[in-house]
Amino acid sequence: MNLLRKNANMIRELAWSDFKLKYYGSFLGLLWSFLRPVFMLGILYLVFYSFFKVNVEHYVWFLLIGIVFWNFFSDATKDGMQNIVSKAHILKNINISPLIIVISSLLQSFLTFMITLIVLFLILFAFGFYPTASFFLFWFYVALTTILVLGTLLVTIPLSARFKDFGHLWDIFLQMLFWMTPIVYSESLVPASYIKWYLLNPLSRVIMDARTTILYHAFPDPKQIFITLGIVSLILLLGCVIFKRFGKTLTEEL
Amino acid sequence: MIETSHISKRYIIPHEKKMTAVETAIGYLKHTVTYEPFFALQDITFRVESGEAVGVMGKNGSGKTTLLKILSGIISPSEGTYSLKGSVAPFFSLGVGFHHELTARENIYLYGALLGIPRERITEREKTIFAFAGVERFRDTKLKHFSSGMVSRLAFALMIQTDSDIFLLDELFSTGDKDFVPQSLSVLEAYKNKGKTIVLASHDLDLLNRHCSRSMLLHEGRLIDFGKTEEVIQHYIKL
Ligand SMILES: Nc1ncnc2c1ncn2[C@@H]1O[C@H](COP(=O)(O)OP(=O)(O)O)[C@@H](O)[C@H]1O
Ligand SMILES: [Mg+2]
Repeated sequence: MNLLRKNANMIRELAWSDFKLKYYGSFLGLLWSFLRPVFMLGILYLVFYSFFKVNVEHYVWFLLIGIVFWNFFSDATKDGMQNIVSKAHILKNINISPLIIVISSLLQSFLTFMITLIVLFLILFAFGFYPTASFFLFWFYVALTTILVLGTLLVTIPLSARFKDFGHLWDIFLQMLFWMTPIVYSESLVPASYIKWYLLNPLSRVIMDARTTILYHAFPDPKQIFITLGIVSLILLLGCVIFKRFGKTLTEEL
Repeated sequence: MIETSHISKRYIIPHEKKMTAVETAIGYLKHTVTYEPFFALQDITFRVESGEAVGVMGKNGSGKTTLLKILSGIISPSEGTYSLKGSVAPFFSLGVGFHHELTARENIYLYGALLGIPRERITEREKTIFAFAGVERFRDTKLKHFSSGMVSRLAFALMIQTDSDIFLLDELFSTGDKDFVPQSLSVLEAYKNKGKTIVLASHDLDLLNRHCSRSMLLHEGRLIDFGKTEEVIQHYIKL
């Protein structure tokens, strides 16, 4: 915490310059970050709605929310690993903590996520989904996802610095996770015998409940909220332990 | 003041090192996880007083950079301890934090932040920084259009805005035109007079002789001499 306060300026500058660079030059820069989910939405909608005939209420919005959360998780974790490699020269030559790179990378991904969410809401409102009391809880899930990403980065970044092929393993993992998360289908399709394991995936829990709060205007079960909170905290704790153990020698591994 | 006590840095030599998770897993299965230690530094003990300028010489691979990186906290020693009085500014390569797609002005804020210089101070001294670097006309030019000498100048101009007490410089003056090196060194002289501690690793023996009263000589990771620069230079030449 102390580290964050002392280096706030550094984190802000890093995140902001990365953000600028990512969408630099082209007027369409930021638009690209919307086009990808839109196309993803288009193809998944076609396949699952028209071909597979999934039976879900408000399927477009159901899908869109899933995609937006998923993209944040998958892009932020991939960008984080790339970021630590592309900033290796900085870490090797200036005495800054690798944690600063992790946080600034998260901040930059978060910024994109927020802009996407704002656009998402503008669209939803335009189609008549007005925020109700449960809307506030939605932001709780946004925060929870961000903490989940942080915890994940704290685990994956030291591993990706240590093992050069970790990026490939992570890609495979993400691909499997995508289908193990209720993004294109509803969790009600998961057989009862699997559901206990299925619901250990914190991303599933967050996406399901985020949908509940804004599409169905309902409050998720408080007990489930606590379980989600518990799982996310555990991942964060694991991240802290791993990063504490391997963060120090991370620079030398790069 | 810098004090080190029996510092060593051990590396696992690269061809033995398992670089991928798959290799590591296979290595565990086959029980071939053997490695040979390599000492980049071994048993280094010395003391540098505040306000001193000390040179570091040695052949390529003798451990100069490793020593300075340990002192600056970028890497940690495998064995031994060290202590520093005051804050450290490590200058390893000029312009590491610079990004070529950003303008000179954007870059000094980014790089400044990395060096821990507050934003306000950069705003305040923007003119001085650009003037020292001699690139006033190009402040809004992207860095990719700068020559490498200009980049070095800009980086150096920014680096000297830090308030640190100890300056660790590793072979910094290889780029830059004929005015750059003397200009930079005059800044260092001024810092020395202000009581800052400077450790300067260089292959330029003449430069070390002019600016450092004492020097250390590293050879194959060991500190084999530490004394008056002139004498250490003689020792180094005879190696
Ligand atoms: N990360 C590393 N892994 C393995 N060996 C290293 C590493 N960094 C430096 N070395 C070795 O340590 C020795 C000292 O390097 P260095 O301090 O850069 O020497 P100098 O700066 O005096 O030329 C060299 O033999 C180099 O190969
Ligand atoms: Mg060197």
